[in-house]
Amino acid sequence: MKMPGRPFQLPPDKQDAMQRAKRLEWLTLLFMLTIIAAIGLTMGMSQAMKAVWTEDVLSLIPPIAFLVGTHYLGKPPDDRFPYGYRRAMMIAGLCGSLALFGFGLYILISSVVNLVMAEHPSIQTIEIFGRRVWLGWLMIAALIYSVIPPLVLGRMKLPLARELHEKALQTDAKINKGDWLTGIAGVLGILGISFGYWWADGVAASIISFEIVRDGTASLRNCVAQLMNKRPSDVESREKDPTPDKVQQELERLDWVVKARARLREDGDVLTGEAFVVPRDERNLMDRVKQATETANSLDWRLHDVNIVLVSSLE
Amino acid sequence: MNRAVRLNRLLTILALCASVAGCGSLPRDPEGTLQRVRGGRLRVGLVEHPPWVVRTSGEPAGAEVELVRQFAEQIGTTPEWFWGGEQQHLEALKRFELDLVIGGLTNDTPWSKEVGLTSPYFEDRIVVGVPASMPPLKDVAGAKIAAKRGEVVAAYLEQKGAVPVRVDELSQARGPVAAPDWQLEQLGLTRTNVKLYTEKHVMAVPPGENGWLTQLDDFLGKRRSQVKEALQREEARR
Repeated sequence: MKMPGRPFQLPPDKQDAMQRAKRLEWLTLLFMLTIIAAIGLTMGMSQAMKAVWTEDVLSLIPPIAFLVGTHYLGKPPDDRFPYGYRRAMMIAGLCGSLALFGFGLYILISSVVNLVMAEHPSIQTIEIFGRRVWLGWLMIAALIYSVIPPLVLGRMKLPLARELHEKALQTDAKINKGDWLTGIAGVLGILGISFGYWWADGVAASIISFEIVRDGTASLRNCVAQLMNKRPSDVESREKDPTPDKVQQELERLDWVVKARARLREDGDVLTGEAFVVPRDERNLMDRVKQATETANSLDWRLHDVNIVLVSSLE
Repeated sequence: MNRAVRLNRLLTILALCASVAGCGSLPRDPEGTLQRVRGGRLRVGLVEHPPWVVRTSGEPAGAEVELVRQFAEQIGTTPEWFWGGEQQHLEALKRFELDLVIGGLTNDTPWSKEVGLTSPYFEDRIVVGVPASMPPLKDVAGAKIAAKRGEVVAAYLEQKGAVPVRVDELSQARGPVAAPDWQLEQLGLTRTNVKLYTEKHVMAVPPGENGWLTQLDDFLGKRRSQVKEALQREEARR
């Protein structure tokens, strides 16, 4: 069953950005796997390192969710999904933010429990090339390695997330931030342990976990709100998106329009919904609606499938 | 950008700290065990477990007791021996009332989260051996293999489909025997490729005393090659 209108397509420059974002996510997966291996090899019996390792495994979820989401993203609407597949990214966003939230909560709880129980972490030695080395030094080396890729990749993702207005990518950049922060906390913790401060690790981790839990809560709230068709906002969900107001103003500028109201929601990166328009009179309505539809959909690359609804008054 | 630069600097400092520290007296003990023990007394919990720890009418004996004596001498301390059960000793160790517990512990002890364990210093491979006169064992399934009564070896044999013959003394067994490889050697048996399991032996130290643990690990790592002979000596004496 054919629906009127054309399926949404990213403008060419955004398509490039999307390709770059996908490449970054593949790179993230690749690097995270090497990090998981490096931490796994050095973790020994250390509970703290086990926590870092678990977080690293958790942080695979957002890139996987993003890549799965983008796989469906471009599919044109069909009979089964007449609105298209753009909302797939909202599911990716929800998965990612749940992972971020869980990740933060996990470190917070485990580090506080370790502190309260006064767990003294024991770290053994290992023989490398005939020399006995305290595993703590190797852990620090592995942790320093684990800091670099997420630091670089996360920073590269943020501008792309803004450009593509992709909240799933934004969440993933946040989890990268969490990754490198916990890496640093781990290094500080093990250095502390080496100086005989058994609590160093737990303190460093719990401070950092606050930051991650905060990011996770914000991200999770935003994802749920977006699924509830919240008013559109910027990619960090801090400010209102000005586009609905702009649509309204532009429609009101048309000479046959008395008043207009735009009711828009975010379908992933796309803004869609309807604009209620009160016409001055009923002459030539077919052409007028067509003109208004074009106006409403051309103001921003994200506007798509904005329908004009004629009403006699806004009351 | 500014933040990235700052972070780089931080990482460099951390790396420097780590490399400097690696050569020095780090890691240290939160509870100062190594410092206290040096020139003082070393409280060792003994759990009877021949040939690792052997109770005699006089001074304790056994492969691990020997190792601890050598270690104590090396770091300049006098061992004080405390006989007792495993749980009792490990609980005391966990609360820093002992400095070391030995008794044939392996690294899969359920206590590994409560106390510190050294890295494995000896691998006990339990395998099947046959008398030299016998043809090599082709198939374990259904084979009658001797194992010490009351020990776990018989269960592993059953798991492999063999028929364990539980005996009191392995030296009296005729035919194939399942035992640690060093013991098979002593019994004059030829080891086969039938491996039952491996036990990685460790000693236990108080939790988080990483300086103490590292010192002991270092010592045990160097004595690795002597353990087998010590075990055989102990076994021969009995």
